[in-house]
Amino acid sequence: MSPNRQNQLPATNEDTSGPYFPIAFGDPALEDLTRFEVGMVGQATGTPIILRGKILDRHGDLAHGAIMEFWQANAKGVYRTPATKDNPDVENWFHGYGRLRSHTGYYEFRTILPGAVAERAPNITITLFSDGISRVVTQMFFEGNDANADDPILQTVGEDAPKLIARHDGRTAKGEEVYLFNIVMAGDGETPFFDDLES
Amino acid sequence: MTRQGRLLEIGPTDNTSDQRTPRQLLRLIPEEARASFIPVVPARYASNPHEWDMTRVAPDRPRADGVPIEVTGSVKTQSGAPVRHALLEVWSANHYGRYRHVEDMSGLQLDKNHLGLGRVLTDEDGNYRFLAISPGAYLARPDIGRWRPKHIHISVSGGASRLITQMYFPDEPNNQSDPMAILMGDAFERNIGKPFEPANNDLDEAYRFDIVVGGRNATYFE
Ligand SMILES: [Fe+2]
Repeated sequence: MSPNRQNQLPATNEDTSGPYFPIAFGDPALEDLTRFEVGMVGQATGTPIILRGKILDRHGDLAHGAIMEFWQANAKGVYRTPATKDNPDVENWFHGYGRLRSHTGYYEFRTILPGAVAERAPNITITLFSDGISRVVTQMFFEGNDANADDPILQTVGEDAPKLIARHDGRTAKGEEVYLFNIVMAGDGETPFFDDLES
Repeated sequence: MTRQGRLLEIGPTDNTSDQRTPRQLLRLIPEEARASFIPVVPARYASNPHEWDMTRVAPDRPRADGVPIEVTGSVKTQSGAPVRHALLEVWSANHYGRYRHVEDMSGLQLDKNHLGLGRVLTDEDGNYRFLAISPGAYLARPDIGRWRPKHIHISVSGGASRLITQMYFPDEPNNQSDPMAILMGDAFERNIGKPFEPANNDLDEAYRFDIVVGGRNATYFE
């Protein structure tokens, strides 16, 4: 808890998204960050990747209807935020924020392999909203990256680190590197989640 | 004592909450990794100018069944700064408690004039306004007779401010038994719209719902 909490307005409670988050709010441009907008010239630099996997509940069943949000640095390791507005390595055609609703519990997200930010291994922050929970947040890493060994997040989860590392599964004919990453929301094999509100 | 993250609670009588709520303590984020956990949502969303009126499917179509209401309020961070140009994505059931979502299998009555969703943006001062049909309550657990009270879902995305919440209605009998309301305890009060007299006699009810986006993310770039 921050010490000046008494000067702050009480926050509106987070609540479950419920099962009926409108599919109509989906935006194809946020489900594939390798191209900025459908039918437009302009794309991010870097290695295109396909990140795919399952979202599972504590019985090992697919957690259908979950909303996933992704947040990452660009290929040069720069996040696009108010703090990096004047950084020459920010790219016009890459904002690093993705969102999709997984109808079945399987998901597929196309993006660019993020670069390493200082002191960190390349990673993607994943926020999940779904029926039954408000939000949970985790961070995933890439198999085979040498920087994983020294990453503070992977160190803080200790023996659970493999649960945060996506498995490399080859390369498509088009040259996309494929990574597999399952999220277990609860129970055996539970993915470590992080307290982004309080920490 | 070592600081630890929270243990999330499971909503009573909520099967999905039992299936999906993490059982481990949340892990605290090391300070050097803090910034990486703060998504900044790009200002790229479209909102059609007519979407603020969710009581009809289009400006030239009739109003849906039920009670037309106005919902208005401000969006602020906990330090009181207005969240300007934030996107509110709104969805709610019709007068009969039915969503126009392909996965709503309740069999409750559809209303051909009700779409039940829309997007609005906050203005320069962080204020928003929309019209909706007062949603019906619906039976969430027929086996134990537990209802979901009337509610409107609202998702807020504005820079580093991110919140998905629901606005509830005052004095509803089903408020007490709602799993999420039970978890909120006394703080549930904050999620109830405050009635006021509608200025427009075209509307039956009006509610003020001021939203405060909590947590460290919302204020990180202030
Ligand atoms: Fe709902």
